[in-house]
Amino acid sequence: MGDKKLNSFSVLKVFRFTAALTLVGALAACATPPSSDDPDALAAYEEANDPFEPANRLVFSANVMVDQLALQPTAVTYRDAFPDELKPPVENFITNLFMPLSFIHSLLQGDMDRAEKAAARFFTALPTFLLADTFPNEDPVFEDGGQTLATWGFSEGPYIMLPLLGPSSFRDTLGTVGDFFIDPVGHVAGSDVSAGRPVGNVVVTRSRNVEQVRELQRTSLDYYAAVRSLYRQQRAAQIRNGASGPAQSAPTIGLDLDEPAAPKENAGTDDQKETAATN
Amino acid sequence: MRLAAAFVLVLTLVITAPQAQADSHLDASAGFIDGLANKAINTLTDAEITAEQRRDAFRALFREGFAVNGIARFVAGRYWRRAPEDEREEYLSLFEDVIVNTWADRFSQYSGQKFEVKGATDATPNNSSESVALVESLFFTSPTTPVRIEWRVASKGDLFKIVDVKLEGISMATTQRDEFNAVVSKSGRKLSSLIDELRRRRDR
Repeated sequence: MGDKKLNSFSVLKVFRFTAALTLVGALAACATPPSSDDPDALAAYEEANDPFEPANRLVFSANVMVDQLALQPTAVTYRDAFPDELKPPVENFITNLFMPLSFIHSLLQGDMDRAEKAAARFFTALPTFLLADTFPNEDPVFEDGGQTLATWGFSEGPYIMLPLLGPSSFRDTLGTVGDFFIDPVGHVAGSDVSAGRPVGNVVVTRSRNVEQVRELQRTSLDYYAAVRSLYRQQRAAQIRNGASGPAQSAPTIGLDLDEPAAPKENAGTDDQKETAATN
Repeated sequence: MRLAAAFVLVLTLVITAPQAQADSHLDASAGFIDGLANKAINTLTDAEITAEQRRDAFRALFREGFAVNGIARFVAGRYWRRAPEDEREEYLSLFEDVIVNTWADRFSQYSGQKFEVKGATDATPNNSSESVALVESLFFTSPTTPVRIEWRVASKGDLFKIVDVKLEGISMATTQRDEFNAVVSKSGRKLSSLIDELRRRRDR
């Protein structure tokens, strides 16, 4: 019996060691930048801004596995089996618990208007034990460390796929770590609340996009790249607080680009468009 | 006195004319989206039609309402330029096929959700020969939390085309472009590798 225990223990140890070794190997194996004699490939590499891509892809597949095995089933159960009339209080509670952090970050960003909104939502909900949505006609203010760093001028940095936590960037990882220490809820509430909130939040968010994620997995040519693009655009939209974006690449799609066949003499303008799109 | 009145009239006409013109492309773009959405709901959500008929109807509407070639070339990114003519043509037709296959079937799941155009703002770039409007709309997938959809509409005279769609601030064209870029840089760095991938997707 003792022998058996020892055996399974050492097997586990070996397994862990191998897993750690693989991970280290993958981390060390950064994506090698393409040679400089291929400017298109180099430009694409820089645009992706994902030097840890091999490691990120590995972590991503682990995350997808956890999602399929644990998160998605939980989210679907919540969506289908949890009584509909009990969902609003649960979801309001989670939202309201984010308001102190949103308040602090709105202040740090110098946005008094949104700071006030976050505070108002939190304090008016207090008498209901944070279970009510006291401003049903208004979108709740969500601000976090990554967004504050962005308004302070920190650039996004390379893309990072965090284990379990999912897509992030260098800046947003820094923000997440900071928020762990800053968040007033973490200081005031018990550890079960501060641990339960992110889990609850993830389940609720996931329960709303079960179909969309399934669809994206089914239709995307490269699921990893699609998620990377979606994450970046979503963060950019959050940082702008919903204001319409700067003139980005999209405006270069126009009616003249839509001409059925590109005549030879138009090749020059075509090139210019392409450069405008990538800059 | 009469002369003065006429002068004032002419002056107001001159001053308000460009404004009215700018507004008219906004209103027209909003109307264009509204009309296209109604057409889509009327023709694509019919439970009686076969999947094949639905795809054909979607393809017709897609060509009518979207700058299909412009979008396809944009999402192909920098690899478009170096591709030979026959590859370009094959890519354009595959792109359209894959979009049609991906989106047409979704309309069969439609069950009366409300679609509402909220208005349009001007986004015409400087020195542009065409007008660009951002048409804001809401799609009520649930009665309380609608999805915000923004349509970028380019227009010139009577010609209106959608050049991008943003869902909650996320551009479909940009997402598709980033994804295609990843596929191409992984395999061969040529438009032909994307074509292979798209063909596999279409025939699946």
